[in-house]
Amino acid sequence: MRELELYFGPQHLGMVGNFSITLNVEGDRILEAKANPGYLHRGFEKLMEYRTWIQNFPMVCRINVVEPDSMEMIYAMAVEKLASIEVPERAHYVRSIYLELARVASHLFGLWAYANMLGFDTVAQWAMYHRDLILDLFEELTGGRVYHIYIWPGGVRRDFPPGFEDKIVKILHVIGGCVPDYDATFFNNRLFYERAKEIGKINQEEAKQWGATGQTLRATGMKFDIRKVEPYAAYDKVDWEVPTREDGDAYSRVWVIRDEMIESVHMIFKLLDAMPEGPVYKRIPNPFKWKVPKGEAYVRCESSRGELGLYLVSNGGDKPYRVHFRTPSYPNGLIILERLLENASIADVGNIMISLYVVAPEIDR
Amino acid sequence: MSESIKEQLESTFKAVVITDSEEARIGVNVKKDQVLAVLSFLKDRRFDHLALVSCVDWIEEKEFELVYVLTCYMQANEEHTDQESLHLIVKTRISRQSPQFKTITDIFPNAEPYEREIHELFGVKFVGHKRLTPLFLERDYDIPPFRKDFDTRKYVKDLFDNIPSIEIEKK
Amino acid sequence: MDRNQITKWLKAPAKMANKYSLHAIYFCTGCGIIEVPPVITSRWDAERFGVIPVATPRQANLFLITGYVSVKTLRAIIRTYEQMYEPKYTVGFGSCPINGGMYWDSYNTIKHLDKYIPIDGWIAGCMPRPEAIFIAVTHLWTLIDKGMANGYVRYKKNYEFYRRNQEMALGKLDWPSLYPIQSDDEAVENE
Repeated sequence: MRELELYFGPQHLGMVGNFSITLNVEGDRILEAKANPGYLHRGFEKLMEYRTWIQNFPMVCRINVVEPDSMEMIYAMAVEKLASIEVPERAHYVRSIYLELARVASHLFGLWAYANMLGFDTVAQWAMYHRDLILDLFEELTGGRVYHIYIWPGGVRRDFPPGFEDKIVKILHVIGGCVPDYDATFFNNRLFYERAKEIGKINQEEAKQWGATGQTLRATGMKFDIRKVEPYAAYDKVDWEVPTREDGDAYSRVWVIRDEMIESVHMIFKLLDAMPEGPVYKRIPNPFKWKVPKGEAYVRCESSRGELGLYLVSNGGDKPYRVHFRTPSYPNGLIILERLLENASIADVGNIMISLYVVAPEIDR
Repeated sequence: MSESIKEQLESTFKAVVITDSEEARIGVNVKKDQVLAVLSFLKDRRFDHLALVSCVDWIEEKEFELVYVLTCYMQANEEHTDQESLHLIVKTRISRQSPQFKTITDIFPNAEPYEREIHELFGVKFVGHKRLTPLFLERDYDIPPFRKDFDTRKYVKDLFDNIPSIEIEKK
Repeated sequence: MDRNQITKWLKAPAKMANKYSLHAIYFCTGCGIIEVPPVITSRWDAERFGVIPVATPRQANLFLITGYVSVKTLRAIIRTYEQMYEPKYTVGFGSCPINGGMYWDSYNTIKHLDKYIPIDGWIAGCMPRPEAIFIAVTHLWTLIDKGMANGYVRYKKNYEFYRRNQEMALGKLDWPSLYPIQSDDEAVENE
C-alpha cells in the first residue's frame, strides 16, 4: 500500500482549537504523527515584559480560553510569593469555590468536545447547556462570561453578592440532578465502551517518562494531584478524595473527568458550609507604581488539565523580567500525542487528542 | 527532607551552590559541565518529573541562564509523602555569544519540545538533540525574538504598519 | 413576458434563500472560538437564524474569523477563503482582527485583517456575547438585501492589491493567484 501524507489541519471538523497534526498514513493506519503548533503563538511571555505587573492581569487569563481562572490564580500566587503578600482567610475559600466552578465548566466543555467527536450529540448539547448555567453565575459575580479577572494579588476583587451562595447551590443541584441522565446516555453506553476502551493506552512508567500530569496520570492509577501534594487556597481544609482509574486508556480518562466533576461539586458544598466571614481583599498601596522585590519563584496549581506552573523572575522593577508558563497541554499535545498516535487508526485521532485534553492556545502561548 | 537532599548534593558534587529560601523549594546553581551529572543524580533520588526547561536572558551580564525545574512523582499508587511537595530549580549559566549546550533528552525524554522552543526563541543550540526544527515560528528573525535586544514594537511598526490598506490604494 | 422580468422575479427568492441559510465554516481561528459552541448548541440556537457549521470550505458561505490571527493562521485563512464559492461573506469577531486588539505589539499577529482579505462586518468585544453574533447576522441580512455585502466582489476587483499585501506580510506565497494579475502576465511574457 502507498504511504500518504495527510494534514489533520487547522480547518477540520474534528479539530477543536487551532492545531495541526501531519500524519503519515498507510491505508487506515498511522505510521508517524508530527504535531504542528504555532498557529496561536502571540509571544505572550515577551509581551508581558512590556507591561507593568497590574497591566498583566487582563493579559494572563487569555492564555487559555477554556479555563482562564487557573491562569489568574497562578499569576497571583507567584506575585504574592515574590512580594510576600498575605491573603485573608475568606479570600482563600472564595478562590477555591471559584476555581472549582471553573473546573466543572472546563470539564463540561471537554465533555462537549469529546461527545461530539464520538457522535453523541445529545450529551454534547446538555454539557454545553450546563456549562452556560455556570457561566451565568460567573457573569453575575464578575461581569464577564469568559474572561473574569477576578483574582488579584492580595485576594479577590469583590465579595459574593447577597443571595449568591443560594444560587450556586441551586445551579449545582440542577447539574448534579442530571448525572443519572449523563450516565445512562453516555458514560454507561456500550458504544462509548467499544469506541474508547484500549484506545490511547499509556501505562504508568511511560506517563512518568513523558511528563504527564492531570487526568492522563490519574487514569493510570497514581493519586497525584497538586491540591493534595502542595495544597494552596483552602484545599487542605476540606475532606475530599482524588479519583483515579486503573487502565490508562481513553475510557479511563473520560471516567476520571466525570468523577472529578462530581468530586468538585461535593467540594463546593463543603466549602460553602465552612466559609468564614471577613475581608476578601488586602489592598496593595499604589498599584500603578508597584514594584515587586527581586527574586524568582516557581509555583504550581492543578488546573482542569494537569499541573500548571509558572516560573517568574523579577529584577526589582515595575515590569516582570521573565515569565514562563508551564502549561499542562504542552507535554500532552507535543510528546504524548505523537507517541500515542503511532499505529492508531485515523478515526481515533480526535478521540485520543480530546481524551488527553489538548487545548491549543496553551501550547503556543 | 530538603536537608538530606541538600547534604547529599553538597557531599557528592563540589562547586554546587545551594540556595533555599523556604522549605518547599531548593535552588541549585551548578557549573555547566556538571549539569548532566547533577540531573541524573537527582533522577535516581526520585526527582523524576522534569516540569520545565526555561531560559532567562541576562543581557547586562552577557549570559543566558538555563533553568531546569524538577519535582517528584508519587511512588506508584500510595499516599503522598512530604517529598512530593518539594521542587528543585537547577540553574546554570552559559555565554551569550554563540550559545550552545548539551541536550538532556537522554536523561529526561520529555525535554525535547522545551529545548526546541528555547532553540527557536533564544537561539541556543542543543548538541545531540535529534529534532531541532522550528516549533512555533514560521519565519526567520534577525535576532531570536525572546532576547532582550529584539524590540517587538519596532518590528511591528516596520513590518505591519507599512502595509497599505486597500481603500487608500483605490484613490 | 420577457426574460428580464423572470430573472428579477427569481432574484428576490434567491436572495432570501441565500441570506436565511448562511452556512458557517467550522474553523477555530483563535480564542473567540469559546463563544461559538454556546451559539451553535441548544441554549442560543443559531439554527433558527439559519446558521449551521459545515465541514469544508466548499460547502460554506460564511466565514467567522474568531479572535486574533497569527501569521501562520493567515495562510490557512487565505487558502480557506479562496476555496469558498461565491457569494461569500466574512465577519471579523472580536477586537483583535479590527486593529490588533490586546496583542497590538506582538511580532506574530496580524493587526488589520481587512488589508489581507475583505471583511463585511465586525463584531467588537472581548469576548462578544452570543447575542452579538445574532445581531451581526441580522445586520448581514440587511446588507445582503441592499447589495452592500460585496466583499467577494471587492476581492476580485482589487485582487492584485490584496495579493501584494499578503506577500508583504507573509513572504513568498506557495499557492498561485486566484484571479489573473496584470504583473503575472507580464512576467510570463518576459520569460
